[in-house]
Amino acid sequence: MFGADNQPNGRAAVPVDETAVSRIFREEYGRSVASLIRAFGDIDAAEDAVQEAFAVALRKWPGDGLPPNPGGWITTTARNLAIDRQRRDARGRELLREVAVLLPHSDDPDAGREVGPLEDDRLRLIFTCCHPALSTEAQVALTLRLLGGLSTEEVARSFLVAEATMAQRIVRAKRKIKAARIPYRIPEVHELAGRLRPVLAVVYLLYNAAPPAPAEPDLRREAIRLARVLSTAAAPDRVASRVAVTA
Amino acid sequence: MAHYLLSVHSVAGEIREPMTDDEMKESFKQIGKLEAEMKSSDSLVLSGRLHEPDTATVVRISNGEVLTTDGPFVESKEHLGGFYIIEAENLDAALAWATKVSKTIKRPIEVWPFVDVRS
Repeated sequence: MFGADNQPNGRAAVPVDETAVSRIFREEYGRSVASLIRAFGDIDAAEDAVQEAFAVALRKWPGDGLPPNPGGWITTTARNLAIDRQRRDARGRELLREVAVLLPHSDDPDAGREVGPLEDDRLRLIFTCCHPALSTEAQVALTLRLLGGLSTEEVARSFLVAEATMAQRIVRAKRKIKAARIPYRIPEVHELAGRLRPVLAVVYLLYNAAPPAPAEPDLRREAIRLARVLSTAAAPDRVASRVAVTA
Repeated sequence: MAHYLLSVHSVAGEIREPMTDDEMKESFKQIGKLEAEMKSSDSLVLSGRLHEPDTATVVRISNGEVLTTDGPFVESKEHLGGFYIIEAENLDAALAWATKVSKTIKRPIEVWPFVDVRS
């Protein structure tokens, strides 16, 4: 059922080339960004750090080989990079003191991994991206950008709009999240009915948005991936049926 | 904590079903209850109800002179009719208050975040 998510052609461990890294990027970007947003409370800082961590991976992995847990490696590296950046940034010094309390003191690359279904920060991120206070266009764009790791250009191409238009849409949506303080949390059970609706709508829209094209980021694959994450949430029945429709 | 403006708009010339005295009394009672709830949770900063827009006056400086004119600044059918300024943890908490206000006064509520002057 979720075959699209598995590594195709058994192209698993070696060799570590750009294709392998970009596949891992697609699979792990959302989880790492989601985890860093919770730790640092800032979407842009999280994105910058995760992208930088992948740049480091691109330099290191071809020589060193793939780490046993590439996603955990990326998240840990991104966290360290984000902390380094804050340390360098004089204004960040005070923040750092608060962050230090929140961060687990561990070099274990598995430290950032989920321990239970509700621990997955991607769920928080989905509900923030698909908050009803954001327009549907913004919800879709943010979801693809932050959870799917698509570049602004790729998101723009998927929806046949100019890159500048899409960039502005994403910037505006991020600004609203910050200014209006859209929270980073999984809704309570009593809110879930209303909050799940836009999320499922986005998943469904993604699935139907574009025909699968080998050269393009496959939106159907993103939709199925998101539906999988969602199915771990508190309303498995409704999501399961939606997954069944889309998968 | 952040501050939000919950604004209520009135539409000029809109005819609403007139309320009976009892309905009016009940409505005021409900609003009073809601405001008490806001106060007891330290969420209410300020609230107010405005007179009709034709009671507004605009002051502006034009070529170094004070120009005073009649009427609201924005020519529009919708005008600010009243507002609450509340303090809330985040947008979801503000939206929860807006839902209660909207249910009580049976009008749409606009939720607008204030710029945090400390940031």
